[in-house]
Amino acid sequence: MKILLIEDEKELSRSITEYLQAGNYICEPVFTYEAAVEKVNLYDYDCVIVDINLPDGTGLDVIRSLKKNKSETGIIVISARNSLDDKISGLEIGADDYLTKPFHLPELNARIKSIIRRRNFGGTNDIQFNEISIKPDSMEVFVNDQPIVLTKKEFALLIYFVSNRDRVLTKESIAEHLWGDEMDMADSFDFIYTHIKNLRKKIIERNGEDYVRTVYGMGYKFTDKQQ
Amino acid sequence: MKLLTRTSAIYLIIAGIVMIAGGLVFYNLLSNIFYSQIDKTLHEERLLVEETINYSDTVPDFRLILGHHIDVTLVPTPQKKAEMINDTVMYDKENGDFESFRHLLVRSTSMQNQGYVLNLYKPLREKEALIAEIMIAVSLVFVSLLVALVFFNYFISRRVWVPFYRTLQKLGTYDINQENLLEFTPTGIHEFTLLNQALEKMSGKIRKDFLNLKEFNENASHELQTPLAVIKSKLDLLVQEENLSEDQMQQLSAIYDATTRMSKLNQGLLLISKIENNQFSLPELIRFENLIDNTLENFREMTDHKSIVVKKEYTGNFIVNMNRVLAEVLVTNLVSNAIRHNVPGGIIRIETSSAFMIIRNSGNPLSFDPKELFKRFRKSEQKSESVGLGLSIVSRIASLYKLEIGYSRTGEFHVFRISLEE
Repeated sequence: MKILLIEDEKELSRSITEYLQAGNYICEPVFTYEAAVEKVNLYDYDCVIVDINLPDGTGLDVIRSLKKNKSETGIIVISARNSLDDKISGLEIGADDYLTKPFHLPELNARIKSIIRRRNFGGTNDIQFNEISIKPDSMEVFVNDQPIVLTKKEFALLIYFVSNRDRVLTKESIAEHLWGDEMDMADSFDFIYTHIKNLRKKIIERNGEDYVRTVYGMGYKFTDKQQ
Repeated sequence: MKLLTRTSAIYLIIAGIVMIAGGLVFYNLLSNIFYSQIDKTLHEERLLVEETINYSDTVPDFRLILGHHIDVTLVPTPQKKAEMINDTVMYDKENGDFESFRHLLVRSTSMQNQGYVLNLYKPLREKEALIAEIMIAVSLVFVSLLVALVFFNYFISRRVWVPFYRTLQKLGTYDINQENLLEFTPTGIHEFTLLNQALEKMSGKIRKDFLNLKEFNENASHELQTPLAVIKSKLDLLVQEENLSEDQMQQLSAIYDATTRMSKLNQGLLLISKIENNQFSLPELIRFENLIDNTLENFREMTDHKSIVVKKEYTGNFIVNMNRVLAEVLVTNLVSNAIRHNVPGGIIRIETSSAFMIIRNSGNPLSFDPKELFKRFRKSEQKSESVGLGLSIVSRIASLYKLEIGYSRTGEFHVFRISLEE
């Protein structure tokens, strides 16, 4: 999977690249509008992550240029401007998703995965993780081929976990993923605990493995690797 | 007290004082004139009497000539010459009553060496009646003059002060958030023109400062976003480290919490400054019932977890023409507030009608003055981990769309009411 990252803030770009590369993506960072246009005209990417505010241009033009080439590349806009106008114009000209800085890296990762899955026209977009298989379109989950019934939030949580397997997910990032960043609720951590407990129980009931590890003081990790 | 009432009152008081003083002076003047007139008559009568006594031996009955108020007494011994004039009260046989008289007493000796005492009286009755009549007439003229004066002064002042009241009204309705500057229509009066110029200059300066401040607020929060994004991303990477000690984890966790809070805080401030800068366009008709349903659904786990009973009563459609994102923020903040400050097993009751939306929740009383509720960073001590911007944002959104927001405490309930301004 090839990803082009257009972000002029070098340190942020490094963090994103590092995080994505650990997930077996090939991530190419560029820092200017000019370099970005050159790249998208030369190569094909599965997904382009583009910052709206670039020193020598606007990310919106990069999207326009991609769309002109009838590219099938998935596009995620990231912007410090938490502006509705940016969001609307970004989505209108063909971006698939929009993230406001500052965001959590696992959140970006989950969004990329979701876009790439949706763009995978040839094959299935089912997610397989050992004995667990998830059908995102119909919101069905099977453990050892037996269906389990999850609530909306449990389903979203499971996809978030699987998208970020082997990574530590902090409680804050989970809360933001489940309830959105509009929510100013520090005590939502209790609910996360409840959701995770229920999710574990439902998987174990169908003889699934318990993949959720608690990381002391920080959050949770979904992994099948032994420590 | 209004300016015109004040000046009219002062006018009246001064005119009253002047009238009383003038009246007294006028009364004295009149009375002096009358006295000199009476005294002159008395002396004329006296001359007549004395001449008669001097040139004849017999004293005729003067009363037949000069009326009743005369008394001539002859005394054998010569009298030392003396005269005295004064006011006196005595019985008047003509009226059968006591009355005031002017009294002239003369002691003298005639050329025939005949001593005599003269008592001449003139009634003051007429003089008093006349003075009273004159005073009444004059007072009437005075009072009507005064009334006319005050009346005209009132109306002239009212006309003259028109530009001033216009300026006042303009100031009262001036909203610093509005685009247009404070501008006054020209007046023909120098002082008012100066006042208006000073006000225009001042409001221009205030507005400039206000805009600078708003711009600074927005820029500051905006510029903070990028470093925050860097810190957050580095933390996301750092927590992935396998070999962290428990101690390091704890410190990392604290940094993480603080960063999350700072980031939420900054987002809140950015949102407020954007609301204040009116950067949300695209109003559309929002049906609040739909928003409430969605929000409650999004928070269902939390209400379930706290065993909160949610009751909805939609008796009408609360529809507001506003930006969708802000409407969502408004409802989300109010509902999450109602959940957060609720008690386990509590109640949330949401009512809507075409004119208002009311959100009630059970909860402990506020630990501070309810007036502070919608201020930035006001929060109850127990919930110090929250940012304290939620209700402030709600009130900003409400005022942007001219919605009225009110808080009250009835019984065990916190009541938030959002209504269309009448």
